[in-house]
Amino acid sequence: MKIVGLDVGSTTVKALADAGGTPVWQDYKRHNTKQAEMVLEFLERMEVECGLEPSSDRVFLTGSGAGLIAPLVGGKFIQEVVAVSAAVEKLHPEVNFVSEIGGEDMKTLFFTPSGDGKSKQVYMQSACSGGTGTFIEKTARKLQIPGERLASMAYTGLDLHKISSKCGIFAEADANTLVKSGVPVEEIIASLFEAVVYQNLATLTKGNTPTPQVLLLGGPNLFFAGLQEAWRHHLQKLWTERRIELPPGVSPESLIQVPAEALYYACIGCIEIGCGEAPGVGVYAGTGRLRWWIEEGQHEQKAREGSKGLAGDPTELEQFVKCYGESRTSVTKPGPEQCREAATVGCDFGSTTAKAVVLSPTGELIASCYAQSNGNPIEDAKAIMREIRGAGIERIAALGVTGYGKDLLKDIVGADVAVVETVAHATAALHYFADADVICDVGGCDVKIMLLRQGTVADFRLNSQCSSGNGAFLQGVAERYQVPLDQYAERAFQARAVPTLAMGCGVFLQSDIVNQQRKGWSSEEIMASLAAVLPLNVWVYAGQLQNLAAAGRKFVLQGGTHRNLAVVKAQVDFIRGKVPDAEIVVHPYSGEAGAIGAALCVLDWAREGAASRFRGYDLIESLEYVATTNEHTTCHWCPVNCRRTFIDVRIPGAPGRSWSKLPVEAGWERVISGNSCPKGLLEDVNEMRVVKAKLEEAKNAYPNIAELVRDSAFKRAKADVQSPV
Amino acid sequence: MLNLWSTHQFWIGFFDALGIEARRIEFSSDTSEDQARTHAKGRGTVDCCYPVKCVSGHYGELLARSKRKIDILFSPMIYSLPSFLNGHAIDSLSCPRVMAAPENIKAGFIKERDAFAEAGVRYVAPLVSLGDRPVVPKQLYAGLMEAIPGITAEETKRAVDAGYRALETYNARLRAKGREILEWCAREARPCMLVLARPYHMDPGIGHEIEVDLQAYGYPVLWSQYLPIDDDLLQWMFGPDIAAGHIRSPFDIHDVWPSSYSANTNEILWGAKYAARMPWIACVVRMSSYECGMDQPTYSPVQAIVERSGTLFFSFQDLDSTKPAGSVKIRVETIAHYLQKHSAAIIQRKQAASPADCPLGESVAHRSATSG
Repeated sequence: MKIVGLDVGSTTVKALADAGGTPVWQDYKRHNTKQAEMVLEFLERMEVECGLEPSSDRVFLTGSGAGLIAPLVGGKFIQEVVAVSAAVEKLHPEVNFVSEIGGEDMKTLFFTPSGDGKSKQVYMQSACSGGTGTFIEKTARKLQIPGERLASMAYTGLDLHKISSKCGIFAEADANTLVKSGVPVEEIIASLFEAVVYQNLATLTKGNTPTPQVLLLGGPNLFFAGLQEAWRHHLQKLWTERRIELPPGVSPESLIQVPAEALYYACIGCIEIGCGEAPGVGVYAGTGRLRWWIEEGQHEQKAREGSKGLAGDPTELEQFVKCYGESRTSVTKPGPEQCREAATVGCDFGSTTAKAVVLSPTGELIASCYAQSNGNPIEDAKAIMREIRGAGIERIAALGVTGYGKDLLKDIVGADVAVVETVAHATAALHYFADADVICDVGGCDVKIMLLRQGTVADFRLNSQCSSGNGAFLQGVAERYQVPLDQYAERAFQARAVPTLAMGCGVFLQSDIVNQQRKGWSSEEIMASLAAVLPLNVWVYAGQLQNLAAAGRKFVLQGGTHRNLAVVKAQVDFIRGKVPDAEIVVHPYSGEAGAIGAALCVLDWAREGAASRFRGYDLIESLEYVATTNEHTTCHWCPVNCRRTFIDVRIPGAPGRSWSKLPVEAGWERVISGNSCPKGLLEDVNEMRVVKAKLEEAKNAYPNIAELVRDSAFKRAKADVQSPV
Repeated sequence: MLNLWSTHQFWIGFFDALGIEARRIEFSSDTSEDQARTHAKGRGTVDCCYPVKCVSGHYGELLARSKRKIDILFSPMIYSLPSFLNGHAIDSLSCPRVMAAPENIKAGFIKERDAFAEAGVRYVAPLVSLGDRPVVPKQLYAGLMEAIPGITAEETKRAVDAGYRALETYNARLRAKGREILEWCAREARPCMLVLARPYHMDPGIGHEIEVDLQAYGYPVLWSQYLPIDDDLLQWMFGPDIAAGHIRSPFDIHDVWPSSYSANTNEILWGAKYAARMPWIACVVRMSSYECGMDQPTYSPVQAIVERSGTLFFSFQDLDSTKPAGSVKIRVETIAHYLQKHSAAIIQRKQAASPADCPLGESVAHRSATSG
């Protein structure tokens, strides 16, 4: 009689067949989300290659896909942690700590000797990609490192850089930044290994110290030599710190083992447990039902499982389109009259695009322009000014700027007002909807939620910690299906039923989509479900707002992603579900709200009658600048060492920078670009000193009680606290 | 850490009176990410709120000291707190999670091996009801008699008195500073802001010094723990409410917070009422840490009280280890924008709603706030 252990994991299927204590067949293969199909393939091969026989041999299954498949083949399901620990206890009684890293999960097992046996503690994480195999592979793919090379890449001796260990998508972004700043891929991969070990130790030890001996299991631990090195490094360091006594005469390395069968431990455990089961349990029933499931059953299930289509019934859709179909307003070309009038301009310098709008003296929107950013803020400013001029606007009477580039460019272009993004968005929303309570801005790369009170932004959520919820993903999927974005809604509304996608991690959402596709969901249905899950990601997962009703009842949707009616429909359904009497409106110029806000703020400023500082088209076009990138411009605030560019622009009256390592004389203004975080906007410690001195001045003039406490509370009281204001 | 941010001077005064001068007391450094990374790895036990979680780093750091090694790790479990609202509120208890933090965190250090014993450090964590002064000497005597051989009940009592004196003197001095700030605001017709938070948000690793960024925009910063409570001021602010029968004393908060059991929570609610009545507090900044169950029910009432008076209200919730630099910068700029735009009108409106004869003094002429 044979016993088969089958491990149906999130990325691979592994199987081991045993006949009387001898392995007779084993293999593992990636299933590309076709778990059932791969299991069928394995079983068929085993029938042929090692004589697996229905009605006599037995099958025990474990892993994330086993619960569904086990009953179809007559097998018994065994929980994966139980399976792995059974194998470890049998093969390695000396082991106290196990780390098993899988494609989309990670586990730790602690075995503590107690009495005659050992007590077990198990921790598992499978909700987020941070620390899992996918985390490494996704970034490696992006860096175009082939699997074989990744497997042999090292950890020891390489410089490490900071990579987000929490989110696979941000790790990828960090890796991108590192690549751009010229960090060798070897160091990036080593940093990824570091991040994985850190994440596992940080989240999955819960006060336990991993003590020798240690076993590393699972694909990533087996295949990536560098990951093993990272484990060895960290565990040995931990043992030294915690003064863990190691058995004499053995090298610490030898206490950390990666067995050759590291992939098959769950299978071995299944067989081990299977041996102890009653004879009638787990008897292999052949492949018939599994085949039926693959060919028919899963499609039937699809029909049962799906939730109502995004569109609802025809009347519901008609009503919705009546309300929201026309909410998008396009800007017409300015008339000759308007061109001659003194125009108020608002510019939104974002990280990927620059947008500008032109208002008439009465606040009417008369033109809208757009320019792709090319990374040099001066050229970006020139480009957008060219666009405004090209739109026929003859004279700019006042200029407001907002967005990431506002502080850099304010003096360069001669802006009258620089407003922070939140204020710009809120001003734009309140201008059209004076009673707005909540603004939800979903752009391509970020999500902002602004809670308004008394006409101000009282609270604000910016999703920059996690990639979940932004519009780029929607766009990516539409591209994959070759559907133009402006047809997205129309296609999505055709879906009668939609699969339910899980809220949360964008990395897992990708594989969830593949999985649903495979079940037979069509592109329309997938697109609809993706739109449907977006509000959950925006409000709950990324925004962490559980109680929408407390936020208010009038919601304004803006940002480019809300041009997509399918998203709007999903948002309306979601918000109404939480706040039944909610009033939900889409901003008439949803993509330009930031620029409009900046324009409105400067229009407000202009009422006071001050003269504009705007430099004029010609001056901006002919701005003279010198860009420098060399060892003196490299940022040293953190180990990332961004290669920055200093752009010195000739601006009459600018103070210059005499204290700098790369001094510039008066009459020149310096703009820094190429930094990846706000810290890099400061040149170096010299500038920090200049800024700090100014800050100190402010601090001395305007006291802060907490500073006094920090200075004095943990010392014996001196004669007196400092002198008055 | 934690409650030490409001009882610091008590302990300095107390130990000083016992002959342990301040220079022999080593405080753990401010909370920081580095501290946690170096000293707290794997020491966490049960999931808890962020400020309590940080205590692992403090213990780890103190045990790992190579210079000026410590003999005793003193980490009192403070059951109740001294509060200026004592006698006016139902009780002045400490947050139970914060109170029990020493035992909770200690567990992570003795789970496998006794890290205290290995470092040659005695762990002392007496339970002490600082809000209930008569029982304190007995509690501390019992808690310290093993650690400090020869200590007597009598000298403990004297030391406790000295501790309270030191704390009261210190608090009074900071309140006087707060009054100076408000007098300056009144004289110059300038706004200031009030931070409503728990005392440990002054710890740079917990509150991330968010208010410092705002201070740099030219606004003095008051904290609710150290608002001036001089009688003339309180009568001016709360007199009408007392006369109308809404409250019994200036420190009475039963009108807005009937279940006034927790000292820090009570002070936050009281601070909200204070902000609503003080014209020159044009803006309130609320800070709260990740998973703070005590703060949860206070969000709405505090916000409602502050906003009803027309005072600007901004909150930073779920603060944890990371100072989200980009997001804090945007928030701070947002607050600065609205303060600059609205504070003059806010001060005028609140002044108009207040009684005449403000004890803080007259403002310099009738400056038009907008031209200021």
